[in-house]
Amino acid sequence: MIVYLIAGLSLGILLGVTTPITIPQEYTKYLSVALLASLDSVFGGIRATLEHKYNNHVFISGFFVNALLAAGLSLIGEILGIDLATVALIAFGLRIFQNLAIIRRDIIGK
Amino acid sequence: MINNKSVKISIFFVCVALGFMISTQFKITRDTKKSSLNYQRLEDLSERLKQSEREKKELANQVKNLEEVNSGEVLLAEIQRLKLYAALTPVTGPGVMISLSDSKLTSKPGENQNLYLIHDDDLLKVINELRAAGAEAIAINDQRLIGTSEIRCAGPTVSVNNSRFAPPYVIRAIGDPQTLDAALKMRGGVVETLKFWGINASTKIEEKIVIPAFKGRFAFEYAKQPTTEGSV
Repeated sequence: MIVYLIAGLSLGILLGVTTPITIPQEYTKYLSVALLASLDSVFGGIRATLEHKYNNHVFISGFFVNALLAAGLSLIGEILGIDLATVALIAFGLRIFQNLAIIRRDIIGK
Repeated sequence: MINNKSVKISIFFVCVALGFMISTQFKITRDTKKSSLNYQRLEDLSERLKQSEREKKELANQVKNLEEVNSGEVLLAEIQRLKLYAALTPVTGPGVMISLSDSKLTSKPGENQNLYLIHDDDLLKVINELRAAGAEAIAINDQRLIGTSEIRCAGPTVSVNNSRFAPPYVIRAIGDPQTLDAALKMRGGVVETLKFWGINASTKIEEKIVIPAFKGRFAFEYAKQPTTEGSV
């Protein structure tokens, strides 16, 4: 399991570093929102695993859909003049910290 | 459930996506820092510094080359200029020509006959007047006058640069012709005094006077250049 994790992460980082893909300045905040959503899903997944409630479909769909939704919502917010990107950042940030707290308690509680 | 093969593969892909996003975000953040104003200013300034240093190097090289190429010419020009100042080259220019010859009057009985002759004093007065009027080059009968030239009675003749001359004397001077002429002819001036004694002094303004170079030798036996410039 850990092997898959590390291999995947390494491959992803390698890909990101080696490919000359960059995002224009004005789209960077969507990427950051998407990244935060993905991180939120990852921590959610870890928490679910620790609570033995892990569902692969929920995790995968959550990972990608959350990211896309967060980015899409930020874009809509941009169009409408509402700063939804910041809202998404705060919401996902809060959830990440909540999840982290729960993970910590789960680990200690074992 | 968590050790299911499909789960592992899906988690692997999730990790790939996550890693890709993280590294991309990192790259963008780094690029953003690079494109920030301070960073750009830093780059700009260092580029300018480099360019200035290149220019400096180039100019230094140029100076070196020019010195190598032109040192001979510059020295020659300097020598030429100094020769002109030291009266070692013939000079030409506008000026005046003064002819002096002994008086045709006969001395009255009881009068000193010397008063009717041209003496070194008379020549010196003329020369002095010309120099005061800004003459740049003076010659007496083709003897160029320099700093050490003497004008001295030598029996019935006058010695200039150790060459002896008998009347008539021709003095040529280069300078502003009007000024030189006026200085000689002014009321109570040297020409008037000479004429009083019947000495024939005629001045002539000329557009082009040629004055020869000093032909003697310089031999300083006692005067030496001081070793340090400050001791002057």
